[in-house]
Amino acid sequence: MTSALNLFIGLAMGVNLVALASSRLPSIIRAAALQGMVLGLLPLLLEEKFHWLVAVVAVGTVAVKGFVIPGLLRRALRVANIDREMQPLLGFIPSLLIGAGATIGAVALGGALPLRPEHAHSLLVPGAFATVVCGFLLLMGRTKAITQVCGYLILENGIYLFGLLLINTTPLIVEAGILLDLTVAVFVIGIIVDRIQREFDTLDTTKLTSLHE
Amino acid sequence: MNPGWLLCIAATGMVVGMFSAFRAPRLWLLTSLTGAIAALASAIWILKTGARWDWQSSVAIGGEALHLQLDALSAFFLALLAVLGGVGSLYQRGYWTDKTHPRSAPSGRAWWNAMLLNMGFVLLVANGLHFLIAWELFTVCAYFLITRERQHREVRQAGWLYLAASHAGTLCLFAFFAWLAARTGSWELGPMRDRTELAPLFWLALFGFGLKAGMFPLHIWLPSAHANAPSHVSAILSGVAIKMGIYGLVRFSSWMPVPDAAGWTVATLGVVSAVLGVAFALGQHDLKRLLAYHSVENIGIILIGLGFAMVATAHGNAAWGQLALAGGLLHVWNHGLFKALLFLGAGSVLHTTGTREMSRFGGLWRAMPWTASLFTLGAVAISGLPPLNGFVSEWLVFLGLFDAVSARGPAAWTAVPAAVLLGVTGALALACFVKVCGVVFLGLPRSKVAEQAHECGWTMRLPMLVLGAACVAIGLAPVLFWPAIASASSAWQPLWTDSAPPAPMQTLGAFHITIAALAMLAAIGLWLRVKRNGLSRAVTWDCGYAVPTPRMQYTAGSFAGIITGWFSWILKPKRHQHPVKENFPAHASYEEHTPETVLEHVVEPTGSVVMRISTAVRRLQHGRLQAYILYLLIGLAALALLALMGGAK
Repeated sequence: MTSALNLFIGLAMGVNLVALASSRLPSIIRAAALQGMVLGLLPLLLEEKFHWLVAVVAVGTVAVKGFVIPGLLRRALRVANIDREMQPLLGFIPSLLIGAGATIGAVALGGALPLRPEHAHSLLVPGAFATVVCGFLLLMGRTKAITQVCGYLILENGIYLFGLLLINTTPLIVEAGILLDLTVAVFVIGIIVDRIQREFDTLDTTKLTSLHE
Repeated sequence: MNPGWLLCIAATGMVVGMFSAFRAPRLWLLTSLTGAIAALASAIWILKTGARWDWQSSVAIGGEALHLQLDALSAFFLALLAVLGGVGSLYQRGYWTDKTHPRSAPSGRAWWNAMLLNMGFVLLVANGLHFLIAWELFTVCAYFLITRERQHREVRQAGWLYLAASHAGTLCLFAFFAWLAARTGSWELGPMRDRTELAPLFWLALFGFGLKAGMFPLHIWLPSAHANAPSHVSAILSGVAIKMGIYGLVRFSSWMPVPDAAGWTVATLGVVSAVLGVAFALGQHDLKRLLAYHSVENIGIILIGLGFAMVATAHGNAAWGQLALAGGLLHVWNHGLFKALLFLGAGSVLHTTGTREMSRFGGLWRAMPWTASLFTLGAVAISGLPPLNGFVSEWLVFLGLFDAVSARGPAAWTAVPAAVLLGVTGALALACFVKVCGVVFLGLPRSKVAEQAHECGWTMRLPMLVLGAACVAIGLAPVLFWPAIASASSAWQPLWTDSAPPAPMQTLGAFHITIAALAMLAAIGLWLRVKRNGLSRAVTWDCGYAVPTPRMQYTAGSFAGIITGWFSWILKPKRHQHPVKENFPAHASYEEHTPETVLEHVVEPTGSVVMRISTAVRRLQHGRLQAYILYLLIGLAALALLALMGGAK
């Protein structure tokens, strides 16, 4: 069971690097969607015996993160008619290097932390750290509003991985709540993106600095 | 009628006055004067009987039950507030009229009453929280009174400086009262001398109250605020508002334990304020600014008295301490009276000439004999010359210092230099007021405005007469006022119950009456002689110039030049001159002004360093979302590190 789990988390960590390396908006949306779907399946692997509520959450997560949110983002992309090239603040190669460094660091940190024996050999904690750091890197290193949303999604995926550590103690309703929050947030950002585009003809967040006071 | 009812009438008078200030100026004057008289009556009641009026209400403000009390110490300051509030109300009726200042006069009257009311509350409340509220309200009211003419940039700057400095002081008082409440478990104030662990709090009180009192070097706000306020406001600021700082120090040095060094520190600050205050005054050419620096000087004299009284209580309640305290307290009254008289006199001059620049005056005695005589009376009083009130209080302080020397205790070593420097202060003050009276009232008019000057009306003359009469009364019959001082000083230190006036006080009264009688005789003799021989006018000796003009008179700067030279190390006067070079000079000029040294060389450099640091920090707030996320991450990492290190411990 652990090996299947590690395989999935490893996949998610790989997707992080893909997201960091992608130079076009559709590919980064695709990467975020893929990571969301992979992680959505994890609860099914973690639970010893099958429970219908877990299945519902897994299906819901996959549906929302894999289809609904990317769908909203693609729609915003289409409606706002955004230039699909990204202008990164932090170049792709440095992003990739830092991301890879963070992944290695996360694995090392996971080894150093005093974890419970059942989590000691899984990639849950390193994967969570790596995903959070990559999410932050995207948030800091990219300028467009859509990439901000994707960075936020990946960051949330990292937090979700941490949450899986506590799957036996966290009520599923909390998980469902987080998911709903995320959907609403993305929805709102989608609307804002549209408005910003109409008002200012750009989605470059570095041009919002004149509003800082 | 008891003090409670009288105070109730006073408060009602002030509140009604506040509301009638806009539409009914006559009702305002009537209610304000009634309020002032009622407050004065209650203060006299308490001072005469030595009793204590205490009123505990069930009404709560800010969660604390209102607790008012009037003891001899509060009553002593309340009497001054009532007198100056009353004469100031009458004076502004002629000075700041609706006709000349249609926009600022009505609201000025309302702020005036609000300030008097709040100063009254500061004196009455016995609760730390309410003290802070009243203190803050009074500070803000004073700001609005100072900035009556806020269309002028200079006035706005003075107001801003006052507000900023006052709030620095209030911040310390917040810390003081909050700490006190935290240690004692209640906001209630009262005697707590036995709790020695509270002693260090005195330093906070010294900063907060000292700043309001205008003690050197915390006086930075005082000169510009006093100079730019309307004159009746300058009078109440200098006469009462800065005394609120003294009240705070007197009150809390009596209720609370003080550190051992407190008395020495207060006395030292007093000496420094006295000498440097008068030195700065000598360098000024702006009449009201000069008077403002004399407030620093007189606060210094009061602090010398208070400081040595504190030293005496720390050394077994020596009797000389009571004399020093009595001198300090009486000087609170005296300075309030003669400084208000001088500011009102300066206001009359300003009213008719429209300028405060002394180099534009001259020969005003002929045009305004009342103002000039009363101003000179105030000048004699403030210089500490017999037979007026300034001498009585300074002499009491001197007596305290001399007794301290002859008691041969540890205080003797400091009492000698203090007495010497106090003497120097008196001499310098005399020099300064010779300069003021000579330049402003004597000689020939130096400008058109001085030529066209005229005497002020009765509403402005009467308040000055009242104040002048009070100065003369305290000077000629100091024994009459001793009971008030005795009950106030026994409220400060309950062990000093000796209420009989000290023997020198009786002698002093007789001495003053003799001097006054001789002076009167001399004046009558002179008058008779002039009447018999007739009056002849002649030109002053003009050094051989063929065509002397009024501009060839001594200026204020040249008069004080030698003395300001002695103090140039601290005054740092700025001079711009084009000296005479050729035999037939075409153009020559000389200009000098004395800036506020502490403000320009200490506060402003510190302020600009703080500004530079904050500008640098402000660059972090640039609006770039990406960097904000980085800050967040760094903050989180730092917290995690902290938690990790804490865990390791």
